[in-house]
Amino acid sequence: MATEDATAPAQQRQSQVRIHLHTKSGDIELPQDTGSILVSTELKRYQLSTLVNRLLETDKPLPLEFLINGQFLRTSLDEFLTKNGISAETTLSVEYVKALIPPIYSASYEHDDWISSVDVRSQRILSGSYDGLLRVWNMSSEVVGTGQSHTSSIKAAKFISPTQIASSGMDRTIRIWKYEDAQAAGAASLTPTLELYGHKASVDNIAVHGNSSRVLSASADHSIGLWSTKKAEAPAAPENLLPSANKRRKLSNAKQLPQRGPLSMLQGHQSQVGDVCFDEKDATVGYSASWDHSVKTWDLTTSTCVDTRTTAQSLFSICHLPESSLLATGTSARHITLIDPRASATTISAMTLRGHTNAVVSLARDPNTSYQMVSGSHDGTCRVWDIRSVRSEASDQVGESVYVIERDSAKGKRVVAGEGVKVFSVCWDKDVGIVSGSEDKQLQINSSKPSS
Amino acid sequence: MAIPTLSRKRKLVTRKSPSLEEDLLVAAVPDGRLDGFSEEEDSNAEESVGESDLEDEDDEISGEELDSGDELDSDEIPSEDDDEDGIRKQLRNLKTSNGSNGDLVHTNGDRRRVRSTSPSLPSVSVERELERAGSPEDDSANYTIEKDANGNTRYVYRPIDPVYDSDDSDAPATTNTIGDIPLSFYEAYPHIGYDINGKRIMRPAKGEALDALLDSIDLPKGWTGLTDPATGKPLQLNREELEVLRKLTRNEAPGDGYDPYPDMVEWFTSKTEIMPLSAAPEPKRRFIPSKHEAKRVMKIVRAIREGRILPYKAPSEEEQEDLDVINYDLWANEAPRPDHPMNIPAPKLPPPGYAESYHPPPEYLPDQIEKQAWEDAEEEDRDKDFLPTDHTALRKVPGYARFIKDRFERCLDLYLAPRVRRSKLNIDPESLLPKLPSPDELRPFPTVCATQYVGHKGRVRTVSVSPCGRYLASGGDDGTVRVWALFTGRQVWSCKFSSDEAVNIVRWRPGRDALILTACAGDSVYFVVPLSLCDPNHEVASRAVLDDGFGYATTSSTTTPTTKPTSSKWTRPTQKLQDAGVLLQITLNAPPKSLSYHRRGDYFSTVSPASTSTAVSIHTLSKHLTQHPFRRLRGLAQTTSFHPSKALFFLATRQSVRVYDLQAQNLVKTLQPGAKWISSLDVHPLGDNLLLGSYDRRLLWHDLDLSLTPYKTLRYHSKAIRAVKFHPNSGAVPLFADCSDDGSVQIFHGKVVGDGMENATIVPLKVLKGHRVTAGLGVLDLDWHPKEPWCVSAGADGRCRLWC
Repeated sequence: MATEDATAPAQQRQSQVRIHLHTKSGDIELPQDTGSILVSTELKRYQLSTLVNRLLETDKPLPLEFLINGQFLRTSLDEFLTKNGISAETTLSVEYVKALIPPIYSASYEHDDWISSVDVRSQRILSGSYDGLLRVWNMSSEVVGTGQSHTSSIKAAKFISPTQIASSGMDRTIRIWKYEDAQAAGAASLTPTLELYGHKASVDNIAVHGNSSRVLSASADHSIGLWSTKKAEAPAAPENLLPSANKRRKLSNAKQLPQRGPLSMLQGHQSQVGDVCFDEKDATVGYSASWDHSVKTWDLTTSTCVDTRTTAQSLFSICHLPESSLLATGTSARHITLIDPRASATTISAMTLRGHTNAVVSLARDPNTSYQMVSGSHDGTCRVWDIRSVRSEASDQVGESVYVIERDSAKGKRVVAGEGVKVFSVCWDKDVGIVSGSEDKQLQINSSKPSS
Repeated sequence: MAIPTLSRKRKLVTRKSPSLEEDLLVAAVPDGRLDGFSEEEDSNAEESVGESDLEDEDDEISGEELDSGDELDSDEIPSEDDDEDGIRKQLRNLKTSNGSNGDLVHTNGDRRRVRSTSPSLPSVSVERELERAGSPEDDSANYTIEKDANGNTRYVYRPIDPVYDSDDSDAPATTNTIGDIPLSFYEAYPHIGYDINGKRIMRPAKGEALDALLDSIDLPKGWTGLTDPATGKPLQLNREELEVLRKLTRNEAPGDGYDPYPDMVEWFTSKTEIMPLSAAPEPKRRFIPSKHEAKRVMKIVRAIREGRILPYKAPSEEEQEDLDVINYDLWANEAPRPDHPMNIPAPKLPPPGYAESYHPPPEYLPDQIEKQAWEDAEEEDRDKDFLPTDHTALRKVPGYARFIKDRFERCLDLYLAPRVRRSKLNIDPESLLPKLPSPDELRPFPTVCATQYVGHKGRVRTVSVSPCGRYLASGGDDGTVRVWALFTGRQVWSCKFSSDEAVNIVRWRPGRDALILTACAGDSVYFVVPLSLCDPNHEVASRAVLDDGFGYATTSSTTTPTTKPTSSKWTRPTQKLQDAGVLLQITLNAPPKSLSYHRRGDYFSTVSPASTSTAVSIHTLSKHLTQHPFRRLRGLAQTTSFHPSKALFFLATRQSVRVYDLQAQNLVKTLQPGAKWISSLDVHPLGDNLLLGSYDRRLLWHDLDLSLTPYKTLRYHSKAIRAVKFHPNSGAVPLFADCSDDGSVQIFHGKVVGDGMENATIVPLKVLKGHRVTAGLGVLDLDWHPKEPWCVSAGADGRCRLWC
């Protein structure tokens, strides 16, 4: 009898581990610190989630994910410990985060031509199309306003503020628009206020910073433009790049828009610039990714290149993840490379996210957390990534996508080279969800929230 | 008459129970006599005695019995007066269960057994009497002649009967005193015989019919309903006797205590008794050699010594001859000899190890899994050809099961063994292959299709990537030239040059300063500045490049008039084309099929194979000047190329490539690639190597410094090669590609070392498949991106593809 008593707890002790639950998001913090809890190593994510929900005394169960040492718990605790070589006697520090609900297809907005760019701000969806039109949509798939000023295809369009829009296109200009919102279809007005000249080739991407009213542009002429959206602040436009006067008169004898030049043109790239972005924390820092394989860090106050990181592939898109101080860049080699732009970083590539089958041309950050992002690729899919879920491979850390968003128009088929369904732009909004524009002329909305 | 009688007789014989009277009657018939009759008669009588004696009391109910239709033949003589006693029935069943009605001997045997097992039945004396009376001549014939199943005569010997005065101890003692006379003889009399004193022995008292009935109702113990043939009294069988009869009818062993399967008693047992039966000590003879045996052995030995016994037979003639054949033992006296191919030393077998032992240590014994694995493996795959087996003692080792097979294989080995040792080169074939780097180390190179450019109607004949790397120009059978944004696949410019003639060539003019596209459609070469694509500065520069020549032509034509009538016209195209951006047109004698620019973009050459004397033209763009340097060409011109750095000009005819020095204006060398029909030519950007593709499926790499023949010939395509191209940025991306009518593009690594100390490394990297083969045509042209390892191909399926 005595021996039985001795062995039973021993077995129990073997299959149990001490965990310490904590979180970084305040809204799901535990009412009181539980200290370390002894749980069975057989537990998996679901059981742990149930446990925490019970501790939180939530009305509705909240799906949670669990991070141990920066890795998501995908197996049982036992397997996790064995795989990572952690002793079951240590106290595990388990961070719980809200799980990402799979983004469900909710709507498609039909366009006349390919959609080159999408953006979302306060329940309004902005789309720039290859037919040269800028459209603003409301959530019930109606065009609220249309803007026509570009003489060629629009390549990029962004909300600067809920009332101001910037767009750029293959006509080598950037245009600033004034947007007056309205509810009814076609009631809102979209009027161009400024034309910005300075680029010698198509302006493929722009980044905007509303507070400092700065716009960064990435152009195929190997340069990056820094622009001001304020008419007064901007210098005059370079004469040689303006369209010839007689032509201008011929095209539109209506009122002449104010034409302005760049605050500065940042030269340095050897090939066309794929994408630019502002540093999320510091608006005086910009990052650019170019087809010449390099990522450059720019000090925008002095307009100088601070740092250059050269990778092995042409880079098409860039996105800043401020909390992990990483730059995500989409490459022609069908993956996303995470680059640490800090000068102290020794390695160029911190992590590689693999899964796409064609060039990754658009990246957008998750507005809720700084660990997740979505990428749009020419293979016709958007993929959601979490940089915490990684595994180590021979050369570097490799991550895999959490969710794959297929084009609704592809009807589940995989087409060679994403023919007809290439995604050109993707955007992630807190309320609307993941919005993507594609070659199939559909603006597709995928929402993690149940559609109302 | 006789034969039917006989046959009837025989049937009779086979039948089991004719009454005795009838038998006698038949026996008395004189004309039925045949040789075998008496025997039959005998046996018949003998057989029937027991039964008839048993049954003769129940004659009156025999008729019923007949009708009861027993399983015997229907032509049976109606003398079957069996009663319906159970035993009778069983007896009959017994007989039928023996299965052979016609087997006389058998039946006889059965009868005999019945008789012998019931000792109370006296039969022998009766039989004998009968024998004497019925067959006086049976001394002579002791057998019957019968026909067996095959119709042959068959002698059936009569069983020997012990005669009265024989010393047959088996003969039962007589219990009556009337002698061996059937009771039926006395049926008419009140007595049944006479005793030894001559007094009548009276028939036992027989009850009246009523008594018999009463008897039958109130059956006394042991009643059988039979009459003892010997005494005439009702036959009383006790329980044991009935049991014996019952068992006999069931084919069981008679007797109560009989055990058919008794335990074996081991009389001579191997077991050693602890307490021997005999306490006598072992005799001495067990321990000492037998003197008697020694004597006998010595006798044999002596006989052998003296030659009276030959130990072996003297060899016969043939064997004698065999002895003359000398059988060589190859390895009889094997002395170490110097190594020589003709000397094959005996194979040295390794000494036996523990595993070979009859009683190996347990660690050498295979476990169940190893044993199973060994048994499952093919004989050749087994690591050893035996399984270590444990025998506790050497005497328990069984015979070698594989002996014959081993000998046979040994003989085969000897028979098939090489008589001469071949000096075999021990070379790993892999090591003979050149050391090629793995394709993984040679990344990046194009692997997948990134973009498809859809829009052309009909084949796309030609593609070209702009020097800036942003645009792709393509021309096809629909007479249009289209310009696409490289990565998005968006068509950004297009122009239709001709509705009936295909665009054969599109080439961008090299150089970043201007954006000029050259297209060959029909007889004309067009120069295009896609206006929407270039910024104002570029546009101005491009216009200047194209228009400079007009001024030159107007100014110089007057000063230096052309000596020869020119075959080409440099003009402005139609206004419609000018609006689209087409700014210059050259009209030639024949449609140009090939066009190549000089590196600087001022000179370019065209090949129009249709016109013979003016097939090859070299044009100067800045002067709007066309020259035909080769008046007479040997062979049909196919394609041309400028050397990237030197003033050399390569001209490929169908089967050779000529290299001309443009400054010295002479032929430098003629390359002999060995191809039947050259389709395309490309010069390495460093200028020392040349790539040729041919319609006979060959890809030829010429090292210009090395020889006039190809350095490498690659034949990987199944159909004609249409185009070959080095990557223009060969320093960073040492790749080249070819495309073929089999629908595939093949990518190769081709590293050239600048100092010329090392040969080029050529590694096939990737086959890019995706283009559909339409009407026998696959991929018609390809081009590289100027910087990146991206490649564009033009397919006959109306699509271009970007591979990266």
